[in-house]
Amino acid sequence: MNSHVKMTDLQSTDLSRRSFLVGAAASGLMLGYSAVPDAFAATAPAGNFEPSVWYSISPDGLVTVTCGKADMGQHIASTMAQIVCEELGAKWSDMRVQLASNDPKFNDPVLGAQITGGSWSTMMNFDAMSRAGAAGRIALTEAAATIMGLPPYFKDELVVRESMISHPKSKKQVSFADVVKSGKATKTFTPDDLKAIKLKTPDQYSLIGVSVPQIDIPSKTNGTAKYGIDVMLPGMVYGKIVTPPVRYGATVKAVDDTDAKKVPGFIKAVIVDDKTQTTTGWVVAVANTYAQARKAADALKITYDGGPNAKLSSQSLLDEAKRLQGLDDSGQFFVKNGDTAAAFGTAAKTMEAEYTTNINIHAPMEPMNATAEFKGDILHIYSGNQFATRSGAIAAGAAGIDPKYVVMHQMWLGGGFGRRLDADMMVPAVQAAKAVGKPVKVIYSRENDMTMDFSRPLTYQKIKAGLDGDGKLVALNHDVVSAWPTARWGIPDFLTPSVDKRGPLDSFTVNGADFFYTVPNHNVRAIKNEMAHNATPSGQLRSVAPGWTFWAVESMIDEIAHSVGKDPALYRVELLDGKGENDGGAQRLRNTLLAAMGLAGYGTKQLAKGEGMGVACVSSQERKTASWTACVAHVAVSPSGEVTVKKLTVATDVGTQVHPDNIRAQVEGAALWGLSLALYEKATLKDGGIEQTNFDSYKPLRMSQLPEVAVSVIANGEHATGVGEPAVTVVAPAIGNAIFNAVGARVRSLPITAAAVKEAMKA
Amino acid sequence: MVTLNINGRNMSVEAANDSPLLWAIREQLQMTGTKFGCGAGLCGACTVHVNGEAVRSCQTAVGDVVGKKVTTIEGLSAHGDHPLQKAWIAEQVPQCGYCQSGQIMQAASLLAKNTNPTKDEIVAHMDGNLCRCMTYSRIQKAIMRAANEMRTASNSATERRAT
Repeated sequence: MNSHVKMTDLQSTDLSRRSFLVGAAASGLMLGYSAVPDAFAATAPAGNFEPSVWYSISPDGLVTVTCGKADMGQHIASTMAQIVCEELGAKWSDMRVQLASNDPKFNDPVLGAQITGGSWSTMMNFDAMSRAGAAGRIALTEAAATIMGLPPYFKDELVVRESMISHPKSKKQVSFADVVKSGKATKTFTPDDLKAIKLKTPDQYSLIGVSVPQIDIPSKTNGTAKYGIDVMLPGMVYGKIVTPPVRYGATVKAVDDTDAKKVPGFIKAVIVDDKTQTTTGWVVAVANTYAQARKAADALKITYDGGPNAKLSSQSLLDEAKRLQGLDDSGQFFVKNGDTAAAFGTAAKTMEAEYTTNINIHAPMEPMNATAEFKGDILHIYSGNQFATRSGAIAAGAAGIDPKYVVMHQMWLGGGFGRRLDADMMVPAVQAAKAVGKPVKVIYSRENDMTMDFSRPLTYQKIKAGLDGDGKLVALNHDVVSAWPTARWGIPDFLTPSVDKRGPLDSFTVNGADFFYTVPNHNVRAIKNEMAHNATPSGQLRSVAPGWTFWAVESMIDEIAHSVGKDPALYRVELLDGKGENDGGAQRLRNTLLAAMGLAGYGTKQLAKGEGMGVACVSSQERKTASWTACVAHVAVSPSGEVTVKKLTVATDVGTQVHPDNIRAQVEGAALWGLSLALYEKATLKDGGIEQTNFDSYKPLRMSQLPEVAVSVIANGEHATGVGEPAVTVVAPAIGNAIFNAVGARVRSLPITAAAVKEAMKA
Repeated sequence: MVTLNINGRNMSVEAANDSPLLWAIREQLQMTGTKFGCGAGLCGACTVHVNGEAVRSCQTAVGDVVGKKVTTIEGLSAHGDHPLQKAWIAEQVPQCGYCQSGQIMQAASLLAKNTNPTKDEIVAHMDGNLCRCMTYSRIQKAIMRAANEMRTASNSATERRAT
């Protein structure tokens, strides 16, 4: 099980920032931020009431929540404010949000670091934000009793609602603003005090479960929201990076800036010397304006040594993956239950299949950028980033200073999707700022952004299944070969011990393969494709491993069901029997699948020739942090193999809904990402470089490709789960399975192309 | 020095005639609502109006808009209350929000000519604007909502004139 998730008892988490120094912070990457006095100017002004590190209330009654999570469109800042507001009893229109610096006091209470991903934020912060809100309410209420001249034992008679504290019996009332102005709210809470607070039960909620207007949305309709790319500092100049034709491993042999010097405004060409090894062979053209920096960059003549990866292609990576999978001793085991070898020996039938996914690129709409400024001993970084704890350390490494002297200023993220977990953009900004002695904003061109993405890796999976005489699945071997995105971080706590005790493995390549189906003999082997790992440094792309593991598992289950003449959906229901450690999760997933089937009219709707429905169900993201998501895809396939997705019906069990409308927005966006990855997005490696450079060759879904999407949310009162990623993972297998039901063509590679479908139709 | 008319005001920018309008707006005038997305006219994030027509400012040279009226998201309405901006809030369209200035400006050029667009007309007009968060269905709904408001407003204006 993944060691970074320590949440066996969510209720026991508390607000003590010292109690949760696990994860990155425990492995030597903790920023000694607090050693820098007054490094972050935006501390609350005197006179504010700060019952918790997470928010303050000003004398005018406005409540400003500091969000330690990166907000990349999931409205997590607003969600944190909503959870605080529920327990605090404030009026929603009084709530404001600000984004946290990298001060460790804003670390995630469960993860002990500032990292945003994994669909973790709501589930891991719900309790801490609730307690913070409740603590504020208690402190304000006690102060209000004093102001009203009521004895302390009257405080239970006080009602807190809409930023107002009232005493119905005496008809007295006082506003939050007046309490703060009075200066009488001074109660402090120890971690034990916080733990002892009795939180509201769901039936007492008045705000959780309500689709309040998101706080950040107005600023995103009038141009005022500030993203990293919008940062303007006095005296700032601009950097445009020039990146080599090889994704990783190239070195700069020589830079001729003769022509660049003729470009007005050109300042300097800076060869990046990256001791953090995040980048290789980069040069920054620095100029007074970005337009000039682009011109100067184009005018630089750079010669490279392409390095060890310069001849590699997608085909080489795939060939290497197949070679590694064929070796008995490669990889480590993530799951090893029962004895698959013995079970295959006695199985009535065995089946094998290979599944692949191509390289995928994040391509958020805001290209990577960072602004660096040295002020005295302090390095200030302005950038929208998902992993301040590690990124600050990378920036420090690029500057050659101690991480405790780096202050990260968080901005709104113009899309994240996992891309901004990486800190490559900080390296050229820092080194350019150092070289020219001025603040520098580095902005990637789209071409830089695409060819230097920390991509979803090319993956190769092989599954062998064994069935008994009744067609029951009794054994499964599942090998997953890929680059290891999370191992690249070098943070031991984010790795997982292998069950065969052969050292840690990157569970972010195999999560999902430890599914909730009951299969008595089950192996999952994680195999690192070292060649791909070196040539295509991979990253966490929205949903990470479940984006490929469920493509394989959910396709294979379908193949098995068809081979034994059973309905694939009902075959899944049988496998989700909830036995042993699958108890609980399996039943929730089964119910979700049945809900999706009912909503889509699976098995009841009459379909035209060439049309079909396919199902898939997933427990993304990790076993410990699962949501329960099912999809029925309805497709039409033309004789030439062209696939049209007519409708995606998605049901998802999220436990508790904080914001129903936002959940629907996230699930729909995630499902459409799944569609985009399933049919439209493909990157390829050639001569060591990514061939796709802009949106003409790498093609995310556009409006004209939008199918009907029906989202149903199941909220059964369990803990709130994440919703930003799981629906990504369920769509591709549902579409593949629908294609099979429509025309009998089985496709096993993503993205699905018309040619592949046509080929499979002939087979 | 080049003088541009942006959002109804004449402003001087120091930019070469052949340099992209996008960077002059963002850096020189520090109006950062107009976004850089692809630099190649493929995504629509940088959409502004030139004499009322939606154009990609990354593909438009500063010298080509001299003497013309340029409108950016900051100038679309006085108080962020263009029917489209109100509809974008009502439908809670933006997720990351980065593409939305461009989406709104692109949609505004449609509704300026046609306040009763069909869904197909909306798709045809908006297909060049990428949204990586995939908010497309809400964008469609918001355009429909804004169109409806604009029709209602112009109907009542007509009625008022009639009486």
